[in-house]
Amino acid sequence: MALVEDHPPLELGSGAATVSKPLGVFARPTATHGWKSWLFTVDHKKIGIMYGVAAFFFLLVGGSEALLIRTQLAVPGAKLLSADVYNQVFTMHGVTMIFLAVMPMQSAFANYLLPLQIGARDVAFPRMNALSLWIWLSGAIFFNTSWFLGGGANGGWFNYAPNSGVTFSPGHGIDFYAVGLIIMGIGSTVSAINLTVTVLNMRSPGMTLMRMPVFTWMAFVTQVLLVFALPVITVALFLLMFDRLFDATFFDASKGGDPFLWQNLFWIFGHPEVYIMILPSFGIVSEIIPVFSRKPIFGYPFMVGSGIAIGFMGWGVWAHHMFASGIGTLSVLAFSLATMFIAVPTGVKILNWMATMYGGRIRLSTPMLFSIGLVAMFTIGGLSGVTHAFAPADAQQTDTYYIVAHFHYVLFGGALLGLFGGMYFWWPKMFGHFLNEKMGKWNFWIMLVGFNLTFGPMHILGLQGMMRRTYTYTEGQGFNFWNLIATIGAFTIAVSLILFMVNVALSYRRHKANPVDPGPDPWDARSPEWMIPSPAPEHNFDELPVVEEVDEFWHRKYGHDENGRLVRIARTEDVVQKGDATDVHLPSPSYWPLVMACGFPFVGYGLIFNYWWLVPGVLLIILGIFGWVFEPSTDPSAGHHHDDDYPTDDRPDAVDGSEDAPTDAEAGDGEVDGSSDDADERTLEPAMASTEETTVG
Amino acid sequence: MADIALEPVEDLEFPDDTHATSTGISNTKMAMWVYLASDCLLFGGLISTYLLYKNRPGSIPGLAGSPLKASELFNIPFTSMTSFILLMSSLTMVLAVNAVMGGDHKRMRLWLSATCVLGGLFLAGQVYEFTEFVREGLGYTSNVSASAFYTLTGFHGAHVAIGIIMLFSAVGYSFRKQLQAEAVEVLGLYWHFVDIVWVVIFAIVYLIP
Amino acid sequence: MRNKRNAAIAGIVSLVVMTICLWLIVRNIGDPAMPLNTLAPAGKQNWEIFNLVKPVFFIAGLVFLAVEAGVIWMAVRFKRNKDDVDGVGEPTQTHGNTTLEIGWTLVPALVLAILAVFNVKTVLEIEKSENPIEVRVIGQQWWWEYRYDTNNDGTVDIITATQVVVPVGRDVKMKLQSNDVIHSFWIPAINGKLDAVPGRTHTLIMTADKPGIYQGQCTEYCGLSHGVMRMELKALPPAEFDKWVDAMTSVPDQPTDPKAIAGQELFVSQCARCHQVDGLTPESSPPFKYSKLPDPEYGQTVDSTLTSKNAPNLTHLMMRQTFAGSLLPLYQGKAAESVTAVPDGVPDRSNLKDWLRDPESVKPMNPENNQGMPNLQLSETQIDQLVAYLVTLK
Repeated sequence: MALVEDHPPLELGSGAATVSKPLGVFARPTATHGWKSWLFTVDHKKIGIMYGVAAFFFLLVGGSEALLIRTQLAVPGAKLLSADVYNQVFTMHGVTMIFLAVMPMQSAFANYLLPLQIGARDVAFPRMNALSLWIWLSGAIFFNTSWFLGGGANGGWFNYAPNSGVTFSPGHGIDFYAVGLIIMGIGSTVSAINLTVTVLNMRSPGMTLMRMPVFTWMAFVTQVLLVFALPVITVALFLLMFDRLFDATFFDASKGGDPFLWQNLFWIFGHPEVYIMILPSFGIVSEIIPVFSRKPIFGYPFMVGSGIAIGFMGWGVWAHHMFASGIGTLSVLAFSLATMFIAVPTGVKILNWMATMYGGRIRLSTPMLFSIGLVAMFTIGGLSGVTHAFAPADAQQTDTYYIVAHFHYVLFGGALLGLFGGMYFWWPKMFGHFLNEKMGKWNFWIMLVGFNLTFGPMHILGLQGMMRRTYTYTEGQGFNFWNLIATIGAFTIAVSLILFMVNVALSYRRHKANPVDPGPDPWDARSPEWMIPSPAPEHNFDELPVVEEVDEFWHRKYGHDENGRLVRIARTEDVVQKGDATDVHLPSPSYWPLVMACGFPFVGYGLIFNYWWLVPGVLLIILGIFGWVFEPSTDPSAGHHHDDDYPTDDRPDAVDGSEDAPTDAEAGDGEVDGSSDDADERTLEPAMASTEETTVG
Repeated sequence: MADIALEPVEDLEFPDDTHATSTGISNTKMAMWVYLASDCLLFGGLISTYLLYKNRPGSIPGLAGSPLKASELFNIPFTSMTSFILLMSSLTMVLAVNAVMGGDHKRMRLWLSATCVLGGLFLAGQVYEFTEFVREGLGYTSNVSASAFYTLTGFHGAHVAIGIIMLFSAVGYSFRKQLQAEAVEVLGLYWHFVDIVWVVIFAIVYLIP
Repeated sequence: MRNKRNAAIAGIVSLVVMTICLWLIVRNIGDPAMPLNTLAPAGKQNWEIFNLVKPVFFIAGLVFLAVEAGVIWMAVRFKRNKDDVDGVGEPTQTHGNTTLEIGWTLVPALVLAILAVFNVKTVLEIEKSENPIEVRVIGQQWWWEYRYDTNNDGTVDIITATQVVVPVGRDVKMKLQSNDVIHSFWIPAINGKLDAVPGRTHTLIMTADKPGIYQGQCTEYCGLSHGVMRMELKALPPAEFDKWVDAMTSVPDQPTDPKAIAGQELFVSQCARCHQVDGLTPESSPPFKYSKLPDPEYGQTVDSTLTSKNAPNLTHLMMRQTFAGSLLPLYQGKAAESVTAVPDGVPDRSNLKDWLRDPESVKPMNPENNQGMPNLQLSETQIDQLVAYLVTLK
């Protein structure tokens, strides 16, 4: 932790005195193009995109596992997978989709958008941001190598003890589960702390908490949930690891352990985890629906408030996953009642989205289709959720396909549809070109139909008594028809995913052949990220936007007449930024986050197989820390240093990286940092009037 | 807060720490607070685990261990002493922060080193306690109460150890470049947190029967 | 306006489609063709649950119809027309309506508060029991054992597996335990499920309405063979139940057929290491004698190598109608499903033989890790003899 603050920014900046001998080995990478510029980047936008790419890859991995599951269950008594392999596949499917696909995809959006939406140049700690990406990715790859090293985890994503113990699962799969999730948890914790601080501290002038875009709010709540939820699962995973690797007996009932300890720890994490996955998508939809309805979000304070309420209440309902565990009447009653009422803030969101659409002028573009899809599909998941908030009903429904249907309507119909909507929406901002609308619409409709074909029938199957996590069923149980339909649906979803990839590839090619600039604000949108060119320049903002109200950008373009109807007051071209500032200081790339992250899988293999593997792992981590601390805060060619955990380095704007020698003006900038609050620069002071509020928040 | 209100909006530079943040708290300090909040739940989980298991006997058949409970072996006077040492290290930490605030880097190094030494003494005490317990037949895997005890105190010990490494590095670093007061303060936050956690552990694990 | 008409059509069409979807669920109510149907109550507790679920589903169904149709209606009604010009006739900028929002926060909360009363009532109701009989239900990988103390003297007098037999109309207190990992006991027709957790005892009340054999399925993931860990509950009229108890508490006849006698010797040498036939142990020697009471600690007594230290008690094997975790019938044809105290029919020897020849081909197991039955590499003659013996156990 100290590594972060060992750089003394105050003392630097006084020019020549601080020019240290640039040790060759500790020089910073300088590539601005090609793969190196990605591997060593500390730019939140590139990191966000890499999160997205990796998450999409794992979405395909998890999706293939889903197809295996559905193929096995297409007909009764199928022999495609043995029971053993099936158990591994459904476990890996669950873990992959949750920790390797949906969560990092929300990280992708959070990383890319949070700084842009609060008007910042980067996150609070850019290098730590890179570190969290690489640690997460190293953990994800480590976890998946279990397929080649004796088989995947086979205990279900919830991995209940004592079935997860060595006695009952002697292979290494569950070791990979425990260690892999600990590694990914480290990455996620670092990222969550980073983004929490970013939102609290890095907002542009006037951006009070209650002026932040709804996506930022929801992503912020998500990060706070992560900060508090991850240590709980970490404890559980460590105990599991000690049980499996060092012969402790925390969960072994025959030796005094208590299987309920795992269940409680797991679900204290596991329930907030549900909101961690869904809230960012709620945020995305809350951005898209107003833009395409050309109306402000209905009841902004209620939207924010219900998000916070969900975040809070999410901590008080974990035991509803344990109604059938035998936790006692009183606990069942308490958690059952608490769970019923968590439906209320969620319902508020649905109705507010509908109210936003009401009376609007709705453009049914692809992002909007996905958003409407979320509203419609998540409602189904929410309603089925209410039905098993009733504990006696849950005693029938839990661990049947009814639950599988429920959480897929929440996580696919909710989280994933939102994330796809977000991709279509922000694609031009991220890559400077649109995804093809026509294919996008096909993508949506095929996905929607496939999704409902797959998971709709599961409601029926569950009520008919088909249990979860079963590798087969027999003729005469009455499950044949709907299982076949569900399998057809799953392949339909696969088609829609392929279509998405084709769309990405074709749109890119079309753009390469005939580049058309979408402009900074292709959707006539509302939040600050649309004030800057597409793709977003490396320094984000030429000047930080001064915010006076929610939807600041919109209000710079539009006012309303006496009837409350929309009237344009300025041309978009006049209120957007050019993105051509050249004197912005950005943090230099760094080798060390990647180096450090590479150490973690070796530590993992060391713990599982042979302690000798710990040596390279620990060495890499120490080398990473060492390099991190001692690398110069900018590339050696530059004149002076800054604390590099703030985007203060004076690397010239990467877009035109040729003019690298720092100008006098720049050097001057560097020197005055912290003391430059000259009166004449405070021209926009009114905007700052409400900073008091900020401090309260 | 005046700082924030006066922040020049035209400034393309990200002004450092205390000047630019929306809350007026520097990023590093805020990050440390958030991390410590997160760590509270880590220790919360471990303490709950210990409380759940502290009275479960159940020795493992076939292992040399006895059905001893960790609590039967506690040497309260000894642990009180090491706890006192750790608490004293908080005092020296405060003095170090004080020194660096006053710009006295020499004194800061002295107090930081003293903190290191006191922390080291505490750790040594813990190692002694552990070996003593093992000698009396309570190994890590002897029973769940032992595992829970060692895991909880071990995690705390690891926090202390990491703290010592960071303090030590800070002292070393300060010879090369001047340490920023802020950095020492943030280190102090961590160190005080680790001490407070120990007070909680000492009260809950050692003192409450 | 065109939009208005289209929206009305879209709304109505969606209402129709959604109603059909709901009907697909509703039509399962009471469908007997699905042995695990949760919506076909045959026991007091599931009736309670069913009556709670009905209004909940009804209200959820209404909200579902309203929201889905509403969303679709709006998407069409307020769709931007091709001839709409930006900046002309743009929508009114409504930022919210506090009254409305407080309203739609409070109304659902109120509805839920009312339903909560019934929720609490049902939770308490299904845990009530009056003058119950007690059955100890023990889960292990991957079958269920049932222990009765029919004369209430504190000792177990019946140990059986796979099929639990209860009297109709009488509350049965199932005491759930586990010998290894967590399992979940679930007979959907009678009551919801409850986990059997090692180191704990959980109580589940079941009261069957009418005679019948009700199927169930382990619903807590319990490892390799979880998917086929089944069970059955046979509800008998009280008089029949007493007959069943009588049969189960008397000893089976000794075999007379030479093949069966050879099978008995084989059983003692090959199977008794794990399986109990009351009175026999691996050390027994002819003449064999059955005892009236089972040994509840048999797995420990003979030091079974199984992780769960327990294998199905076979003393009254043929009193059951299925074996191998309820996967296979023990009788041919209808006799496998007849609701009588003592099953009467032709034993299905081929199923038993398949099982003895290669148990893992019938049900995935992991004997290398002491989970489940190993392949004993028996010859066809030995299998014949064993089956001849096993069918005498009634």
